[in-house]
Amino acid sequence: MASTQLTDEELFSELKRFGFTPGPVTENTRPVYLKKLKKLREEQQQRGSRAGKTRNSGAIHSSSGGGNTAGSRPASHDVTHLSSSRRPGRKSSVLGFSSDESDAETPLKRKGLNQSRRADRSPGFPQHPMIRPTTPSVATKSQYGATLNSNNSSPGPGRQRGVLLGWGVRARSSPEAEGRDYDESGDDDDNEGEKEKNSRSLNGCGASHLNTSKLAGDYSDSDEEEVGGPGVGDQQRERLEPNVRRSHTKAEFAYHVVGRGSQTGGAARQVNPPEGLNMVGNRREEGEGGEGKRRDSDTPGGLRSHTVSPRKTIYVSLAENHGGETGKNNHVDGEDGAYRSSRFAIGLRPRFSNYSSLSQTYRSNHSNHTAPNHSYSQAMLKQKLSVPEDELLQQFKREEVASSGSFSAHYLSMFLLTAACLFFLLLGLMYLRMRGSGSSEVDEVIKSHPFGSQFDELYNKTEKDLILKLLLNLHDHLAQVAGQYDCGDQQHLNRSLSMAEAATYLRAQNQEFDGFIETSLEWIIRTGQDVGIRLTGQVADDPLTDVSEISRLESSHPKMPFTCRFRRAFLTVISRVSLIAVVVGCVWSVVCYMRYRWRREEEETRQMYDMVERIIDVLRSHSDSCQENQDLQPYLPIPHVRDSLVQPQDRKKMKKIWERAEKFLAANESRIRKETQRIGGADFLVWRWIQPSLSCDKTMNSKVWQGKAFPLDRRNSPPNSLTPCLKIRNMFDPIMEVGENWDLAIHEAILEKCNDNDGIVHIAVDKNSREGCVYVKCLSAEHSGRAFKALHGSWFDGKLVTVKYLRLDRYHQRFPQAQGCSTPLKASSLHLNTTGTMNTMPRLHHRGAANSSGFS
Amino acid sequence: MSSTSQKHKDFVAEPMGEKPVMALAGIGEVLGKRLEDKGFDKAYVVLGQFLVLKKDEELFRDWLKDTCSANVKQQGDCYGCLKEWCDAFL
Repeated sequence: MASTQLTDEELFSELKRFGFTPGPVTENTRPVYLKKLKKLREEQQQRGSRAGKTRNSGAIHSSSGGGNTAGSRPASHDVTHLSSSRRPGRKSSVLGFSSDESDAETPLKRKGLNQSRRADRSPGFPQHPMIRPTTPSVATKSQYGATLNSNNSSPGPGRQRGVLLGWGVRARSSPEAEGRDYDESGDDDDNEGEKEKNSRSLNGCGASHLNTSKLAGDYSDSDEEEVGGPGVGDQQRERLEPNVRRSHTKAEFAYHVVGRGSQTGGAARQVNPPEGLNMVGNRREEGEGGEGKRRDSDTPGGLRSHTVSPRKTIYVSLAENHGGETGKNNHVDGEDGAYRSSRFAIGLRPRFSNYSSLSQTYRSNHSNHTAPNHSYSQAMLKQKLSVPEDELLQQFKREEVASSGSFSAHYLSMFLLTAACLFFLLLGLMYLRMRGSGSSEVDEVIKSHPFGSQFDELYNKTEKDLILKLLLNLHDHLAQVAGQYDCGDQQHLNRSLSMAEAATYLRAQNQEFDGFIETSLEWIIRTGQDVGIRLTGQVADDPLTDVSEISRLESSHPKMPFTCRFRRAFLTVISRVSLIAVVVGCVWSVVCYMRYRWRREEEETRQMYDMVERIIDVLRSHSDSCQENQDLQPYLPIPHVRDSLVQPQDRKKMKKIWERAEKFLAANESRIRKETQRIGGADFLVWRWIQPSLSCDKTMNSKVWQGKAFPLDRRNSPPNSLTPCLKIRNMFDPIMEVGENWDLAIHEAILEKCNDNDGIVHIAVDKNSREGCVYVKCLSAEHSGRAFKALHGSWFDGKLVTVKYLRLDRYHQRFPQAQGCSTPLKASSLHLNTTGTMNTMPRLHHRGAANSSGFS
Repeated sequence: MSSTSQKHKDFVAEPMGEKPVMALAGIGEVLGKRLEDKGFDKAYVVLGQFLVLKKDEELFRDWLKDTCSANVKQQGDCYGCLKEWCDAFL
C-alpha cells in the first residue's frame, strides 16, 4: 500500500490537510495516524462522491494506496467531468438503460447521436468507463449485443458500426454511470471483491477469468502508482489512461463481437443476462465459431488505433494482447491465471474487476470455458445491471453454486466416515457370528474326523457315518445345553450332561446310535484333539483313559443364540471399559488432588511471607516512633500485632499462617527478638525490634541553612533598606512541624544566619501562617538591610526564603511587645536558654552543639 | 462513565511516580504484560504516549487497541484515568 511508503512528514502533512492537527508521528503513533488518515480519506471520498467533488481526492488518491476506495475516487473525478460535458439530455437514456437490461431499443436510437458525438466524446470517453466500471461494462455489453443483433452484416461495416456502437454505448454507459449514485462504488468494491473471490475459487475451471484479469492487470499496472506500471504517459494522463484502456477493452470486445458473425445470436442473448446458462451455451458456440475469426480481432484493434491516434500505442498493445491470447486456449488460460493473480496482488480496483468480467465474458468466447464460468460471468453481468441488493443476491446465489461443490465434498467425507463406521460394525457382528458358528468348523472337523486313518480302516462307511453323525448330534446337543446354560436359561441345571442323559438323548435321536456311543466316545478320548466335546470323569481334571470313566460331557464350543452372544460380548466390553475408566478416574483424581494440595501450599507460603513482611514493617515503624516518642515501649506484644494486622473476620482463617509466620520470624529474622514482658500486670510474649534505626530521613528535616539561590543585586532587592522591620516568608510549613518548640528553632536559625548582625531585637514566628511567616525587627534600617541581604533568597530546610520590608507602625500594631525591645538577640543565648526545654529534640542537640562551637 | 473504579480513584489521587503500568485503570495483568513487552513498563511511559497523541481520545483508544488489544471498556477506563490524572497534576 502506498500509505506505508509515506514518510512521517508526509503523513503529518496529509493529516494536516484534512484540518486535523496531529501530534508527533513516532513509531508508536504511526499506525494510529495511518488509520486516521485512511478514515479521513474515506470520509472525504464519500462526501466527494456524493457531491461530485473536485480533484482534491484524486491527489490524495495518487498519494495513498487505498485500494478499492482509492480506486473509486478518481471515478468521482471522472464523473464530475462527465457530468459537466454530458449531462444534458442523457439522463433519461441513462436511467432507462441502467435499470432495464433487456432494453435493446434504446441503443439503436442512440446510434446516430453517438456518431455525431463521437468526436466530442473521445477525449472524455476514457473517463466514462472509469466512473462506473461495472455498469458501463455491462451496459456496453448489452448495448453491443443489441446493436450487433440489428447490424448483422459484413464484418467491415459491422466493425465500423461496432466502433460507433462501442463509442455510443460507452457514451450511454457513461451517463448511466453518472446517473448511478457513487455510493455504489463501495458496494461495487465489495461485490467485485466477492466476485473475484468466487472466480478465484473457480480458477480450476475458469481460465477465462484469468484471461480477463490479465488485461485488467495490465491496465492496473499502468494505472496504479503503487504498481509503478509501464510508462503510459505523463501524470495527467494516468487517470485517463486506464479509462482509455478500459474503453479500448470494451471496444475490443465490441469488435470481437462484431467480428464473429455467429456471435450475434449470443450477443443478443447477452442482452438478457438472466437467461444465464442459455447464453453460456450460446457463447460457447460463438466461441467455437469465432475461433477462426480471432485474427480478425487484431484488425479491429488496428482500426481502433486509427480512430484514436493518441492512444495508438495502447490500442496496439491491446491488440497484441488479444493476438497473443488468441493463440491457444491453454495458453490463454495460463495467461489468465497469471493475470488474475497479478491483478489480485496489485489490489483490485472496481474498474479492473469490471473490465475483467467484461473481458472474461468475451474471452470465454475464445477459450473453452466451462459452464460455471459462463454462469458466473452471467451472474456478474446480472450484478452490474441490477441494483445493489440484487447484486448481493446474485452473489449469494453464486456463492451457493460455488459452495455446492464444497458441500458435496463435505458430504462425501461424512459419507466415507459413516461407511467406515458401518464397516467396522459389520465386521464386529460378523466376528460374533463367527464365534457362534465356530462349531460348524468343528463339525467339519468331525466330519473329516480327526480320528486318523485308523478310524477309516476299522469301520465301514455306514458305521463311520453313524459314528460321525452321532458325534455331531452329541456335539450339537451339548453345545446347545452349554449355550443355554451360559445364557442364563435355567432349563438345565448343569452345563454338562451326564453320561446317562447323553445316552438317552442320542438314543432318542437315532436308535442306531446306541451301539456306537461308547465307541465314538472312545475315539474322542483317543484323538486328543479338541472336537468340541469335553469329557470329564468322576474326579475332575483327571485325564480320562477309558470310556467307563466318563461321567459328564460338556461342550467346549457352546452354541448360543446370537442375541445372547451379543449381549455377553457387549457386557464384557462394557465392564472392561468401565473398569479402565474407573482406574483412570482414580489416578486422575489423585493427580488433581495432589496438584490442589500443592497449589494450596504455595498460596499459604506466599501468605506467610506476606505476613512476615507486614510484621517486620509494623515493628520497624513502631521502633521508629519509639525513638521519637520515648513514652512508648520499644516492644510490641505479639497478640496485639496479630490483631492489628489481621482483620477479625480473617483471624480464624489466618491462624495457621500466623503461626507459621511466627515460627519463621523466630528462626530467620535476626532483627526481631522475642521476649517476655510484663504489660499491665500480665505476662506477654513480645517482639522487640533490635535494629538501630538508620534515621537517614531525619537529616533531611533538620533546619539548616542551605545556601543562597541567587545573588542579591539591584534587580531582586530594594536598593536600600527601607524600614527596620522585616517579614520573612516560607521558613516553615505549619502543618509539617512537629514538636513543641520548633518556633524557637526558627528563632535560633535566624539569629544564627545573622550572627554578625547584632541588631535584631525581636523575632516573632507566626505559627499559624500557611506561608511560614516570621517577623523580625531590627535596631535600625541598616541592620535590617544587612539581615535582608543575609536572608533573602536563601534555602532553609529545603524552602526558598523571601524577605520583605514592613512598615514599622504596622509591625508595632501587630507586635506591641516589640516596641519595647531594644536589646539585640543572640543566638547562643537563645540556645542556652532553650537547651533545657529542648532535650527531646536530638537534632537541636546536635545543632546546639555545633552552634555553640561555631559561635564561640 | 457515571462511576469510577477503586483503581481509578487510587491512581488519580496522587502523582503516579514509579507506579507500574498495571496501576492504570482498565489495565490488568494480561494487558499490563502486553504493554510491558512493548516497552511500556511504567505508567508514566503510557502517560507519555497519551501526551504525544495530544490527549486525543480516539487516537489514544486506537493506540491502546493496536498495542495491547484492549476492548472498548478497557480503553475507556484507561483514557479516563489518564485524563483525570492530567487534569489534576499536569
